[in-house]
Amino acid sequence: MKNPDAIVIGAGVVGACCALSLTNAGLKVLIIDRGPVASGTTGAGEGNILVSDKGPGAELTLAIRSRDLWFDINTDIGGGFELEAKGGVVVSRSAKGISDLKKLSVLQKENGVEVIELDGAGLRKIEPYLSESVEYGVLYPGDAQCQPMLAAAQIIRAVKKRGGSFIQGENVIAINSNAGSLIGITTDKNNYSCPIVINATGTWAGEIAKLAGSHLPIMPRRGFILVTAPAPKIVHHKVYDADYVANVASSDADLQSSAVVEGTASGTILIGASRERVGFKADLDISILRQLARQAISLFPVLSSIGLLRAYRGFRPYAPDHLPVIGEDANISGLWHAAGHEGAGIGLSPATGELITAQITNQSTFIDPTPFSPKRFQGSEYVAV
Amino acid sequence: MHNVVIVGGGPAGLSAALTAAVAGAPVLLLDSNPRLGGQYWRTPADNFGDQNENHFDLATGLKLINSVKAQSNIQVLSGAQIWSASHKDGVSTLRVIYQGSEKIINTGNLILATGAYDRSLPFPGWDIPGVMTPGGVQSLIKGHGVVAGKRVVVAGSGPFLLPVAAGLVKSGADVVELLEANKSWRWASSILVLLENLSKIKEGFYYIEAISKGKVRARFGQAVVGAYAGENGELESVDIAKIDRNFKIKKVRNIKCDVAAIGWGFTADTSLAGALGCKQVVAKDESVVVLIDSKQQTSITGVFAAGEITGIGGSELSMIEGEIAGKSAAKFVGCAVDISRSDLIIRAKKQRFAAALIKAYPIKSGWRSWLDEQTVLCRCEEVDLADLKDSIVELGATDSRTAKLLTRCGMGLCQGRICGRFVVDLVADQLNISPTDIDRIAAVSRPIITPIPLGVLAAGE
Amino acid sequence: MSQFDIQFTFNGETISAISGQSVGAALLAAKQRTLRKTRFNQKGRGVFCGIGVCFDCLVVIDGASNQRACITEVISGMKVQTQVGTNA
Repeated sequence: MKNPDAIVIGAGVVGACCALSLTNAGLKVLIIDRGPVASGTTGAGEGNILVSDKGPGAELTLAIRSRDLWFDINTDIGGGFELEAKGGVVVSRSAKGISDLKKLSVLQKENGVEVIELDGAGLRKIEPYLSESVEYGVLYPGDAQCQPMLAAAQIIRAVKKRGGSFIQGENVIAINSNAGSLIGITTDKNNYSCPIVINATGTWAGEIAKLAGSHLPIMPRRGFILVTAPAPKIVHHKVYDADYVANVASSDADLQSSAVVEGTASGTILIGASRERVGFKADLDISILRQLARQAISLFPVLSSIGLLRAYRGFRPYAPDHLPVIGEDANISGLWHAAGHEGAGIGLSPATGELITAQITNQSTFIDPTPFSPKRFQGSEYVAV
Repeated sequence: MHNVVIVGGGPAGLSAALTAAVAGAPVLLLDSNPRLGGQYWRTPADNFGDQNENHFDLATGLKLINSVKAQSNIQVLSGAQIWSASHKDGVSTLRVIYQGSEKIINTGNLILATGAYDRSLPFPGWDIPGVMTPGGVQSLIKGHGVVAGKRVVVAGSGPFLLPVAAGLVKSGADVVELLEANKSWRWASSILVLLENLSKIKEGFYYIEAISKGKVRARFGQAVVGAYAGENGELESVDIAKIDRNFKIKKVRNIKCDVAAIGWGFTADTSLAGALGCKQVVAKDESVVVLIDSKQQTSITGVFAAGEITGIGGSELSMIEGEIAGKSAAKFVGCAVDISRSDLIIRAKKQRFAAALIKAYPIKSGWRSWLDEQTVLCRCEEVDLADLKDSIVELGATDSRTAKLLTRCGMGLCQGRICGRFVVDLVADQLNISPTDIDRIAAVSRPIITPIPLGVLAAGE
Repeated sequence: MSQFDIQFTFNGETISAISGQSVGAALLAAKQRTLRKTRFNQKGRGVFCGIGVCFDCLVVIDGASNQRACITEVISGMKVQTQVGTNA
């Protein structure tokens, strides 16, 4: 593609959504990735589109907006990525957990999230196989799920049909600027001149920022997901333990895991979620698989006889303050970052794309973008572990 | 801890076990089948009586099995399924499902002899009940005393079609067609290899004699390219094509049958070796095999491999490889034993025969033209050729891994054991490129080797 | 050749078998070739590889789904059923 209006680096779901949003705003977009579509964290995700796991604040506002945008995209591009408004159910079995969950859900409700409290009988009415030991939970009808790889691929397909293009197998090696303004990028194969570049490289976004002389402290937080053999419909919602919310917000480097169980359109059941900061460590840790299996069975005892077929490993891109990085680079104008969504990248992508596009095209934004700005790391002495 | 752990109770594993044990090393032999012997010497339960009729040379197998059983320093675990394995700092850890619970086995000395299974190629209708692999038909006869059908077509390529046809004839089935896709002259360049492997010629004649009793005549240069179901949804007839030397269809006829046994040689099951981290390579027949040195040692010190997983070569090569691996492993744990010159000579001779087989029975790319858009590729997840093409043309997949993740092709219960190998070819075909070794090896990577019930996983330490 | 010495049921119908046989072998001997229906297109499938590799001969045995008929030894009194999809 000659002279694109904007280049998106990264063909994960964040890059795809940025590209679609820019394309729909009339820009000619080129997507570049060093690998195939969704070959990073997107391809290792469950496809969470959640409003239930966030407390009040900028990220919750982003999540609520993004959830609705997913359904708009589904209509816009004609689906094909298994989007399902299945709803989430958060449960707790400890007195403190229940009290925290109640408090959280009250705050969420005040911020526009639909919440429905359920007792044991109510829970088992919507999740018949849920353990008898669960007596309290909250249903979040707004939670949804999609197949993230298909989502990225279908969105990029739509971008291409609307005049954009996608080049894979090129590694960006330089961000070129002139007097603080972006003029293009260099890959290991080509030079591209372009006034706008979006860095949507997720866990690897810090490396691109470094090419621009900027500091973006985004690091990997490893997670495993178990995938079962195709099973009868046992789990109807995304069902998870309230500890999950605490773990998401935690900065602890040690292994944390809490049960997250859900069915998929293809019949498999996904079981998460572990979190640990071990860099890009690739080995299959059997003890984590066992812990995830134990936690899932404690929620759904019937899972005990279902076979484990695969285990995925992915690296969530996280920033020290656990907020995504969405905004213009601190040093180079025209370079925009859209990364660091941790485990919520699928859910937050459409709103990320919208926020980036609105700022690039000088439109008003639905939310004050300041909390997400990459400029917040300027002068920070955060040291990667 | 046992001194030598061996995985697989077929010709290679049994030979390795006996050799290592006789050399003085205590052996633990793990086998996934209920009875020792592997696919080659598969036998039914004892109540079925004498089985010599169903085999060319069961005597050798029974002698080996009985010697293994009689050897006091060999412990056998039958029905043991390894679901996961890893290797760290000289110790291999095998996680085994045995009698409904998990057993962890750690060893510094391991011999892998996990064997092979039939290689299948897709064609329209190959998922209809009644279309089977030759190995499946054979295992029903040898292991269960059951003949799969009345009117049977045996087709594909490779010498294994002969014993299957012979077994069917002996069991009273009507083998209506025996079709070899390649031409017989392909053997011409390997006459010398044949002459130094006279036992193989003898075995061949044994089968041909058995087949001729059923008035079956082998036809060359023909293949089954379509299958049709009757009203009950089960196999009723197949399309048989004359094919050219690249397997492109020339002329088609239809024939009634209730079973079609179709196989294209074998695929090694290297899942366990891959999980341990043994280096795998792509062999001449484009199958993925475990790389070994002259001592049968893999890229990991103290982990040896023998038999079909080092390259498809049949029972005799498997046995000599097993013996050499058994000696190597025994020596590795301190037994006074050495690989002899004659071991190496015999192995080299059998290896030449294996190489001649690959030359005589090539699988040519023309099979890809037999497929139509609706031909199922992944039997587990019901992914057809149109779906695969869509993932490439529309969704932008440029490699088989991405195509797989976008279509679920190869992500079902068999974990791509049936379709993984040919999907790599089909994806490359669509993209007009050649598959890389990395693609082929990635297609057989299965960190979870066989499904494990979550309850069993959860109960483990 | 051995004689039938045990009985089990397939979709309620009594089937005779020889002890030591697999469920799949005993069913094939009784001319039962369709063992499951696939979960997306409800297509019939039966024994294919016969050695536990392909997972195509899945049946429900005594209530447990996803059992490979070809490698499960038949036991007297077993209740075997066609697996329809994931048997939901």
